[in-house]
Amino acid sequence: MSEALAPAAPPSQQAHPSGGERSSPLSRRGIERLDLMLLCAEALDYNGGEAMVWISQSLGFTELFPNRVELWKRRCHNPLRRATRRGQLQEVETDALIRILNALAERLYPMLRQLLSSAEPPELSAQRWQLFRRRLDDLVQERFNLRRGGVQRLLDEKEGPELCRHLIQALALSAGPGGFDRLKASLMDPVS
Amino acid sequence: MKLSARYEQTSCRLVLEGFPDLSAGQGDQALGILTGWSLALAGRPELEGRREHLVALLQVVLPYARHLLSGAPRPFGTAETPVVIAPQGTGHELLVRSSLPDTPPLSLQLDDAELADLVRCLDQLRLDDRVRVPLELPTPQPLKRSELRHRQPLRRRLAAPATGLAALALGSFLALLLPTPKPTTAPPAATPATPARPVTAG
Repeated sequence: MSEALAPAAPPSQQAHPSGGERSSPLSRRGIERLDLMLLCAEALDYNGGEAMVWISQSLGFTELFPNRVELWKRRCHNPLRRATRRGQLQEVETDALIRILNALAERLYPMLRQLLSSAEPPELSAQRWQLFRRRLDDLVQERFNLRRGGVQRLLDEKEGPELCRHLIQALALSAGPGGFDRLKASLMDPVS
Repeated sequence: MKLSARYEQTSCRLVLEGFPDLSAGQGDQALGILTGWSLALAGRPELEGRREHLVALLQVVLPYARHLLSGAPRPFGTAETPVVIAPQGTGHELLVRSSLPDTPPLSLQLDDAELADLVRCLDQLRLDDRVRVPLELPTPQPLKRSELRHRQPLRRRLAAPATGLAALALGSFLALLLPTPKPTTAPPAATPATPARPVTAG
């Protein structure tokens, strides 16, 4: 029992973090962070893109995202993307993306834990971080606008590792049964 | 009939024990009266306590994780609460005060992975339909702007207003360099033209 998730209601019926009230959609900064975390999941798993589509279907989001192109289009609302899309995502779409990320984080949790644990052998841990960073950098360079300050900070030799650690820590705290509410509330933070 | 609920992660095991509260109309599989709980963190002494201690643990660890997720960690708990959690170097310090007299507080250092395990165990407990013990936990909410102020370094926070002020100062300076237009002199008042009298020779 303890390892299993709490019984999942259909996504459309699950409780909202603010106690059932309808909230405003995510800010552009929230979408930026959500897409970046999805990108981290892709960097951790070679089949991350496929897993995203499969999880979307298994969570019942086939109508929202009938194929990977539709999923990609929603992610392109991230202002850091090379080909960014204008307009605002609907709350149902951002909720679906957060649920997909929550499920991906749950699937990748053993790997996230290995990266964050101080009990792992330091050399092995350093190799894992190096591999993750290399794959994330490749994905960022391929898909993101390299002239944006946020992207440059992520690729920076000094700032990059700390930002990557925060992203992995955030993914670990977004996994599990309480991860959706926590992550959604975090993505709705006001822009500081 | 005694019931127990068990939540396990790699480095963390939380066990609740109690009874169904039949007087409240709960089923015989619902844990409504908590008689005790124990928390075992790998390599640390096992913690035990009553309901109020469990509530105190939940009330500090879950909001702490919420703040950490937003990149704005801060201590939770006070000198009076049984549990305090605070950032400590690259990890987290969980301070547990015993209700027994003359027992010093127990300080546990957790790394990010152990904290994530603990949070997952507490999440499982919080969302377990079988546990009907009132836990008085608010749902996670977006942080206030003031709580996020320290997320960015001071230099970056001041960059935008400083650039604006510098641009304003530069613009004002350049505006001062422009020659001031001379006041336009009013045209001399037109004197009524006196018709020249033809000089007539005497």
